[in-house]
Amino acid sequence: MPRGLRFASSGIEGGVSNPFREDLVSRNRPEACTVVIFGATGDLTHRKLIPALYNLAVDGELPVGVKIVGFARRDWTDEFFREGLEKLNQKVSRTGHDPETWENIAANVSYHQSEFQDEDGYASLAKRLNEIDEERGGKGNRLFYIASAPEFFDDILINLKKAGLSQEREGCWSRVIVEKPFGTTLATAQHLNGVVNGTFEEKDTYRIDHYLGKETAQNIMVLRFANAIFEPMWNKEHIDHVQITCAEHLGMEGGRGGYYDKAGALRDMVQNHLLQLLSLVAMEPPTDLTADGVRDEKVKVIRSLRQWDTPELVEQNVVRAQYTSGNIDGQEVPGYREEDRVNPESETEAYVAVRCMIDTWRWSGVPFYVRVGKRLPKKATEISIHFKATPSVLFNATPGGVPDGNVLVIRIQPDEGISLRMNSKLPGTTLRMEAVKMDFHYATSFGKSSPEAYERLLLDAMAGDATLFARRDEVEEAWKFIDHIEKAWHESDKKPPMAEFPAGSWGPREADELLSEEGRTWRRL
Amino acid sequence: MSSEISTKGLGQPVSVGSISKELKKLWEGNEASTNASLMNFLIYTEEADQLVANSEMIQALTKEHACRALLIGMDRGAPESSVEAWITAHCHLAHGKKSICSEQVSFLLKGKSLGRLRNTVFANLNSDLPLVFWWQNELTDLFEERLFRVLDRLIFDSTTWADPKASFAKITEAREQAGTKMVTQDLAWTRSYHYRLAIAGLFDDPVAQKGFSKIETVTLKAHPDQRTSALLLLAWVIEQSGWELIEKNEDRFSLKSKDGQAIEAVIEWDEEGAPLSLLSLAGPNCEVKVMRQKGNTHLCHALCTDGHCIDFSGPADSDEPAELVASQLSRGGKNSLFLAVLPQFLELL
Repeated sequence: MPRGLRFASSGIEGGVSNPFREDLVSRNRPEACTVVIFGATGDLTHRKLIPALYNLAVDGELPVGVKIVGFARRDWTDEFFREGLEKLNQKVSRTGHDPETWENIAANVSYHQSEFQDEDGYASLAKRLNEIDEERGGKGNRLFYIASAPEFFDDILINLKKAGLSQEREGCWSRVIVEKPFGTTLATAQHLNGVVNGTFEEKDTYRIDHYLGKETAQNIMVLRFANAIFEPMWNKEHIDHVQITCAEHLGMEGGRGGYYDKAGALRDMVQNHLLQLLSLVAMEPPTDLTADGVRDEKVKVIRSLRQWDTPELVEQNVVRAQYTSGNIDGQEVPGYREEDRVNPESETEAYVAVRCMIDTWRWSGVPFYVRVGKRLPKKATEISIHFKATPSVLFNATPGGVPDGNVLVIRIQPDEGISLRMNSKLPGTTLRMEAVKMDFHYATSFGKSSPEAYERLLLDAMAGDATLFARRDEVEEAWKFIDHIEKAWHESDKKPPMAEFPAGSWGPREADELLSEEGRTWRRL
Repeated sequence: MSSEISTKGLGQPVSVGSISKELKKLWEGNEASTNASLMNFLIYTEEADQLVANSEMIQALTKEHACRALLIGMDRGAPESSVEAWITAHCHLAHGKKSICSEQVSFLLKGKSLGRLRNTVFANLNSDLPLVFWWQNELTDLFEERLFRVLDRLIFDSTTWADPKASFAKITEAREQAGTKMVTQDLAWTRSYHYRLAIAGLFDDPVAQKGFSKIETVTLKAHPDQRTSALLLLAWVIEQSGWELIEKNEDRFSLKSKDGQAIEAVIEWDEEGAPLSLLSLAGPNCEVKVMRQKGNTHLCHALCTDGHCIDFSGPADSDEPAELVASQLSRGGKNSLFLAVLPQFLELL
């Protein structure tokens, strides 16, 4: 069977099979395993991972026999850990909180206290995992989820290897999911990849980018390759430019300034999420839907990005900025340098706009404008495809011309959906045109709420399907592109300037000029 | 009968010729609501007093599936022919903000019906959207080629049929005539979806897999009203296992596996139980079973080996037809497994 069809596999290793699996669900089959979460006391575990596993159980998607072990430094008991998880699940779960379902989950949750650097903690973890398998049954598959602070990634991976936990055993797999940030530069990403691949095989390594688990991000390929009307126009002949915007109205609340001021918008968002979205929009059709089939095409896009490898090129094509004090939702908000845990003399960007050029036959000469920032007027992530104007005859030749070109907008969050702007004649005896919008909203069209990104991604990792995870070469190629810009900003003699914009506005004037010098404007969200 | 048919709650009465105009008026100037539609969803019944109950089902269904709903009630025994129509909208708040509405047109057709059902359907569809047709109860002579050729999905519940064999023959014929486009969905099959998922999940365990070739008995317990649901589930077990039906004696079935193992299957009827209350596959030292108590929203999955059982719970299929339809629509698909199981089911019937 071609993998592209991805029916649930009915074959089981060792010649024994499960005949009842065939054709029940149209994707790879997730297998029961023990999920070990490093950094289990953190926000990600409580707000995202456990609610995701809970919601999968509610929907009947979680394989029978999944066990969860939290691994962290705090001296907590199993009971205390479970209580904390339950409290937050009651607040954030997409499907509400059903005590009976929670009891089933909680019965399979335990907590393992250890320092991340303590080898003995991993030896005792191995012992405990074996005991859990013996007590509660199960094949012994292990899924390690590294959700700790990034400085512990190396220690965790190396100690897992030393404890023999990264090895496949007797038909049982051992996989690792690594949270972002995956490195802070090309060199650190290469180092981390070296450690990961020295511990787990690449096929068992899942570098998570939760944007790829979002329904609309997955829908980009469907939109492009399951609809005959778009793909013939998806090229330089018909598309004028593409904009990818990730706007955030929040600033550095909740102590996030400490992390953010070290990372900045380019590293925090562009290197991973936005370049992943860009590659989905710009990729060639893959030969099949296997993980490598899709990722081979995505990495070609990232590899084809024109490198802004001198300070001059960075100044011409990239705008960085910090917000000054301003007003959002009627509230006064401080400037970036006045935010909690941010260095008052910080040179970290809280906003970045990049003109990306993809040097391929399909995209030659078509700019992809990418912008991301904090303290913008609202929270929104979207991709807009701006089509070329119609020829300057007929309506274009009349005074006023055609109001606007066609724009296809893919809204990633919130209000996931797709809209198409087109021109229409205004009712009346004279010929006047206005732009109108055809709009598709996921929420109102399908009623059923989309699963959270982490639900899909956890299930995929249990099923051994890495399509929605970043591969080593994707990550490193993205860092290569980012590194040039970071070096120009921080290490060159001719550092491009840091622009400013008032909080609550749509970014600095310089970012507008990035487009206006080519006769374009940012889409108004 | 016609004079007693309740139409309360079907909305605003309209003349059949002005349905489109009246629907348009419904939305004009309504800024607070969005009229959404992903499909034409039609419920047809020849028990015309079901119209109001069907409207309530549409209210529930449109929470997840925005549609142009068409309800048609036919009173074929009425002495004179007439058509009455009503329009209304079912609105739901999406994410606590915007009101998302589905429009509904209800028809009460009385008297001689030659061609009127078909024409009413054709005249009131939203163009380009798929047509999902829920035919309630028996398939009568109005289920005819020109009608079913336009269907994208036909929903029925074989547990309501007096003669399932004859009705399935009509379905098979309709499928052949309609080509592969029409998806058929039997609610009796949908009712066992979570049972099938549970059995498949339990057989992921290597212990259960090893016990598979030694299965000796299959026991199914169901409510007597759910005969076709039970037989479809049993047919699925037999088909997926590659077993062969050797002999049938009322509700006992002698089966044989590919390697010659004899298996006895039995269906027990329980008036007091859930629609499907037990499916057990048992061998000498291993039993895999899925159970449900009446009214419970969860299934209990159990794997027992050498007297030691591990059990889990998982979701159960709803007992409400509208919810069964809604969940199947959410899953979509061509229902190819149902078609693959159908020949085996017809043998068991």
